[in-house]
Amino acid sequence: MTAASLLARGLRRLGTHALTWGLTLSGLLLFTFLLSRLSPIDSALQWVGDHASASSYAQARLALGLDRPLPLQFAHYLGQLLHGDLGMSRSTSQPVLDDLKRVFPATLELATVAIVVGSAFGLSLALLSARYPGGAIDTLARVFALFAYSLPVFWLGLLALLLFYARLHWAGGPGRLDDVYLYTLPQGSGFLLYDAWRSGDRTLLANVLSHLCLPALVLALHACANIARLMRAGLLAEMRKDYILASRARGAGPWRVLLAHALPNAGALLLTVLALSYAGLLEGAVLTETVFAWPGVGRYLTTALFAADTAAILGATLLIGLCFILLNALADVLIHFFDPRSV
Amino acid sequence: MTLIFRTGLLLALAAVLPSWAATPARTLVVAQSIDDIVSLDPAEGFELSSVSAFTSLYQRLLQPDPLHPSQLRPALAASWRAGSDGRSLTFKLRPGARFASGNPVRADDVAFSLIRAVKLNKSPAFILNELGWKADNIDASIKVVAGDQVRVVWPAAVGASFALHILSAPVASIVDSKLALANAQNGDSGNGWLKTHSAGSGPFKIRQYLPHEALVLDANVGSPAGAPRLASVIVKNVADAAARRLLVEQGDADIARDLGPDQVAALHGGVHVESVPSAAVDYLAFNAANAENPALKNPALWEAARWLVDYDGIAGKLLKGQFKVHQAFLPTGFPGALNDRPYRLDVARARAILARAGLKDVTIKLDIFNQPPYPEIAQSLQASFAQAGIHLQIQPAVGSQIYAKVRSQTHQAAILFWIPDYFDAHSNASAFAINRNDGTKTVAWRNGWVIPALSDKTDAAVRESDAARREQRYREIQREVQTHSPFVIAFQAQDQVVLRNGVKGYVQGLLADMVYYDRVSK
Repeated sequence: MTAASLLARGLRRLGTHALTWGLTLSGLLLFTFLLSRLSPIDSALQWVGDHASASSYAQARLALGLDRPLPLQFAHYLGQLLHGDLGMSRSTSQPVLDDLKRVFPATLELATVAIVVGSAFGLSLALLSARYPGGAIDTLARVFALFAYSLPVFWLGLLALLLFYARLHWAGGPGRLDDVYLYTLPQGSGFLLYDAWRSGDRTLLANVLSHLCLPALVLALHACANIARLMRAGLLAEMRKDYILASRARGAGPWRVLLAHALPNAGALLLTVLALSYAGLLEGAVLTETVFAWPGVGRYLTTALFAADTAAILGATLLIGLCFILLNALADVLIHFFDPRSV
Repeated sequence: MTLIFRTGLLLALAAVLPSWAATPARTLVVAQSIDDIVSLDPAEGFELSSVSAFTSLYQRLLQPDPLHPSQLRPALAASWRAGSDGRSLTFKLRPGARFASGNPVRADDVAFSLIRAVKLNKSPAFILNELGWKADNIDASIKVVAGDQVRVVWPAAVGASFALHILSAPVASIVDSKLALANAQNGDSGNGWLKTHSAGSGPFKIRQYLPHEALVLDANVGSPAGAPRLASVIVKNVADAAARRLLVEQGDADIARDLGPDQVAALHGGVHVESVPSAAVDYLAFNAANAENPALKNPALWEAARWLVDYDGIAGKLLKGQFKVHQAFLPTGFPGALNDRPYRLDVARARAILARAGLKDVTIKLDIFNQPPYPEIAQSLQASFAQAGIHLQIQPAVGSQIYAKVRSQTHQAAILFWIPDYFDAHSNASAFAINRNDGTKTVAWRNGWVIPALSDKTDAAVRESDAARREQRYREIQREVQTHSPFVIAFQAQDQVVLRNGVKGYVQGLLADMVYYDRVSK
């Protein structure tokens, strides 16, 4: 294949993908918009409260644009969106974009630590299971994964707080920092681990870690269980294939077979599982964020939902949708890079 | 392996960390949910959390005494006198008072603040509307007489003592007009900026407000109210009640609010609970205007229902300490409140009333908030009403959904609560005992209670200038509502505030704005 035809093929694929992503995003927006508008919650009433006068209520309806027909409201929103304006959040009185810039780093930091820890342990467990299938280690790992996967994450979070924060004082409590540091820090990147590391203040870094470790581990446990279960199945499927038999016949040791042959071939599955788990975490672990008073996207979206704050709901949904699409696209590209046969 | 590693990791962390940090010295950390805050502009904010911050941030001309709220004390006004026409007041400002910005408090600021609140016409504007103030007459109603004197007149037929109570509500907070106007955009009188900033003369000022995260206040040492003892207050958003409990038990918060009865009962470790009566009254309402169910407009149902609430079971066992039995629309603590309790659980009597009226096997849909304690109360009602053949179908939903339903008169029955908006009997009387069918959605209107005579009586009460006679009128109105309305007023709420043992001087009053941090020390 010539370079030109390769490029043309790549561009064609990109075009198809972009079209799919665009359609997915607009469908997501339309659906969310309709859901938030058709819900029985009266957002003007939510804004002014139950005691307000009829004229204050009417004024609020007008300000929210609720007097206009639904298609016009949606068109207006899309118009604003094309100008990079996500609108004003009614419940925070801030532009939604500013709100998202504030809450997204908290979620991204938590999710990233959780996925790194979770995938490291999950993959290790899967490898051990695949190395000794049916053995004691495999059984233990499977039981562990099943438990970790089925435990409700908010309950685990509360238990973790009770034990490691309240009883043992090993970890920090709810929130991202102790109050001694909170609100006295200069505005940084929003990624506290990075900000603390850059500030060179060791006790600050320790404090950030002590608050991050519990929610991150609770989420990591869940991700770990998911990755371990799926990767175990994937690796065992690879191990039954002929090329494994062939490499064994050539004298490769069991670990070498597993790591150098089976694992790379299960790479596509691994990337997909990782992308989905990470996207799931980025979506905002609502319950975990609530239990740990973690000011992230999940909490932002839930409070917006309860307040019928349409601009905030749409903005946060759009962000989550974008994360999903970007991660999936990234996984696609990587899979294609590692295994050019896949289309 | 993972478990071993994880334990190791935690052990390592434990080694590098101090055991645990207490709250910073001279800083009060309050754990509560502040997700409800829409605006911290006193002309707009009307949510429990924002209103509870206004007393710290702003002063009004006069304010209720924290411990005896029926007595008004001068705040930014040094004195006032009523006009001979009975429809005006002249206030003389306290000399030398300054806002947190350093700007002096002038009569112009008073006029600016009141005119602004009426013209912005946000949620709490209806309180000022009680004086007949509207956007088109407010400019003429507030006149600066001298640099330190301001005269207010009002068109509504109400007396000066009522007007004083209206002017002591948070919506009448005095805003630093220079600062507000310097931050105004598109003629919003600074509304956009004041949603997240403060421009007042209260004992604290906003250092930083992070929506859904925290409201951080710094002392305003030059406040005319006197310098607070603490350097700062952090009101931290902790949405989960169990987490709030942990924080205060650990000493990572000094005060925690809104814990459930079980959590309060299980508290241990260096904390104590202060029970503060709140002015919220909880009631069951039947919607007589709902044609789907003819039983709803039958006064026998209303009468029987009063005997079917397990008042003591709910207040004493189910919600121990968080509710007390109270059966009149004026909460205990308001002048003229009826504090007797003529009704108790008496199924036999209720059955007899229903039998006389020929009501049997009635099924009623009951709308309730999906948050504690309402599901618990509803289940108790369901059980006791069933004994008299009234079947309640419980329909839980979020608050705004229920309010929308009630305001469009589409509910059958609902458990609701009502908090007075200002410290005067008219605040609740106008809700429960006026239905003019003129577009004003009072509680009486929402439930289709047709009361032309009682509405007249309530309007006459607010015009009464003699305090003793006025109280007597409200007692009569309450009795009328208690015995004849489609409302079963059953409980008054009590706030249980959890404080660390070292925290001294915390004061909280009946109304939502009566939260005082300025005398707190630790």
